[in-house]
Amino acid sequence: MKLRSFAGFVGPSVFLMLALLALPMLMTAVLSVRNCALEMELVTVQQTGPFGAHDVTTQRAQVDATGRAVQTCQWVGLDHYRKVLGLDTAPADNTTAGAQVNAQINAQTGAGQPTEFFSALRFTLLYIAATTPFVLGGGLALALAMNRVTQRLKAVFIAASLLPFIITPVVGALAIKWLFRDNGLVPHVLGGLGVQVFWMAQAWSAQLLVILYGIWHVLPFAFIVFYAGLQGVPQDALEAATIDGASPWQKLRYVTLPHLMPLVVFVLMMHLMDAYRVFEPVMVLTQGAFTTSVQYLTYHVLLQEDNPYKASAASVLTIVGIALLLIPLLRKTWNEQRRGG
Amino acid sequence: MTLPRRALVLAAAAAPAAARASSLACSSIANTGEVHLVGNSFPAVAHIAAIAEGCARPGFKVVFKLTPQARTETEQAFGAEGRSPFDAALVSMAVFSNLYARRQLQPLSDLVQKFGARYKLEERMLVRVDGEVMAIAFMQNTQNLYYRADLFAKHGLAVPTDYAQMVQAAAVLQGHEPSISFPIAQGFAKGFDSGTEFTNILASLGGRFFQPGGALPAFNSAAGVQAVATMRSLMPYMTPNVLASNSDDVVNQFQQGKAAMGVLWASRASRMDDAAASKVVGKMQFAAAPAARAGGRSAAHLWWDAAVLPRNNPRQREAAFHVLMEGLSEAAVKSGNDLGLWVRSVYEPGRFGTGLALARSAGAPVWPSEPFFSLAHAEVGKLLPEALAGERTAQAVLDAAAAAYQRSATDKGFIKARVTA
Repeated sequence: MKLRSFAGFVGPSVFLMLALLALPMLMTAVLSVRNCALEMELVTVQQTGPFGAHDVTTQRAQVDATGRAVQTCQWVGLDHYRKVLGLDTAPADNTTAGAQVNAQINAQTGAGQPTEFFSALRFTLLYIAATTPFVLGGGLALALAMNRVTQRLKAVFIAASLLPFIITPVVGALAIKWLFRDNGLVPHVLGGLGVQVFWMAQAWSAQLLVILYGIWHVLPFAFIVFYAGLQGVPQDALEAATIDGASPWQKLRYVTLPHLMPLVVFVLMMHLMDAYRVFEPVMVLTQGAFTTSVQYLTYHVLLQEDNPYKASAASVLTIVGIALLLIPLLRKTWNEQRRGG
Repeated sequence: MTLPRRALVLAAAAAPAAARASSLACSSIANTGEVHLVGNSFPAVAHIAAIAEGCARPGFKVVFKLTPQARTETEQAFGAEGRSPFDAALVSMAVFSNLYARRQLQPLSDLVQKFGARYKLEERMLVRVDGEVMAIAFMQNTQNLYYRADLFAKHGLAVPTDYAQMVQAAAVLQGHEPSISFPIAQGFAKGFDSGTEFTNILASLGGRFFQPGGALPAFNSAAGVQAVATMRSLMPYMTPNVLASNSDDVVNQFQQGKAAMGVLWASRASRMDDAAASKVVGKMQFAAAPAARAGGRSAAHLWWDAAVLPRNNPRQREAAFHVLMEGLSEAAVKSGNDLGLWVRSVYEPGRFGTGLALARSAGAPVWPSEPFFSLAHAEVGKLLPEALAGERTAQAVLDAAAAAYQRSATDKGFIKARVTA
């Protein structure tokens, strides 16, 4: 194909990827090394409302001649990254009182201990490690089972299997929460058997609940991809293996799985990317108790701390984390492409 | 966030009639073009939205966006460098404080002066800062003590007025009431719920969130530690799932008859008698939230919600004001009387509308209005469960929250940044 034709075909796609993926990522990186803050002034105002009048000593933004709030932006280098990673020390206020508070806080908490981020990272990696084998293995098993179901039943089973994946994550997580919370069906049934578990009461069960949700929600995606792949497994190769005396397990291992391997890598990559950003089940099932994930911290910085600059640093760190996870798979894919495999 | 089913049904039933009535009242609005509004997806706000959208006519379009993300969308729109996509918003007082501090609100005094009589605006609806009207308040809320009157009578218990009494009552019920394993239900979930309970109890203990005259933290104090101890004293009588229990879960525990008392939002009271979901219809009563110490003021806060207009989009300010005022009119309050605790004097509080009066008479203060408070509240809410679960001491957790708050408040300009050599 001529270069001109090639460029004509891939140009629109490359442009969209640059505009919608590369540019926002670049802007995120730029934001992450800046910080903008309003110039605040201390004021005492009288506020009246439904509950009467009261004086409030507070802060509000200084305004310029046009009445707009004055904002100062500055380069902060890697400060936000250090804060997200918990590697900074508490900021020192330039007042005597502030310095005393900081000294007290640093002494008592050992500020700078990278506990929160790495604790979140630890749970996130646990979630990935625990869900991935079940998503891949369960999806493959379900696809193989579905391949043996009679044609009439396939549509019904496929539709039912896909339901968890079709439901939006928040709704799905809410449904699971209602099953497991106090007075829910699962504690009720287990209680009838003499087993009493409060699923959100301690780390192991709260984390198990989030992991179970992750498997339940993502497994249908793996299933449908593998099922589609199974339809393309060459029948002549399977028949030849049968004639050669191969057992069902040998046919699966030496014929079917090699055929599905590109799809396994694809599902694995998608799941690693999604799982590293696990958020909805954490927020809905446990509200983050015992299950703080990396994405939960990003959410906290963006919406609770209301700091898009620091949140950008958290986002960049998320991209780095995902990239590190994907390196082995990308290398494998790259090598296969180079070999033409 | 889920919506109260009964309230939604009421809102749905009231909306068409209210919208028809509003289309008559709205006939005096001569504006053209489009008005875009945003608000949280609560039943009361949905009721206002239906009336406001009823003001639309050929050449005049009204779009009211109801979303659980209203706070985020409002703050992003009002803080945009360009024009806000919304001409007005309905916000809580916490959001109002942030928007006002950032100078992102339009003063409304001229509009109130011009049209106040037409819409019978009452003085207590006007949120003034140094005399300038910055918002129109329409709804209120607070936290109340919910308790099972039948069980309290059965066991000869008095309604607790402080948390020590509440623990004593819970101990009696846990020991003698077979239908109740965990007598207390309260929102201690990580984040907003536990942060709010800490705020309520700290204030009731007389503790301070900040050092006087500034934004430096003061909640990691002896009073703060005592507030955490008070919260922990309740936990033996609460479900072990308490650190994931939000307001919806607490409502569920009450409705299923699994809890006998607890502090919850007053606006949720009507759900106790939702026959479709509740097994305790007519059995729940309400009182002021207990004080954190004997003789102290109620460990609760007073809230209001209000309508505001953005500074970065004044083009349709008059039209936006008109449709909002139709949604907040006397007729609107009457037709949606049971959907919220309204500010207007025509509101008739029924059995479920007494919460505000109870809290006020028990001395509950107004929710903190410092714009940096939400940062401190968020850090406390995020870390407090570690102390409640016993993973770290209360002092260590509060110190860590103070340090985290100090970092975020410094980034936002509320605390002076480090002076480096």
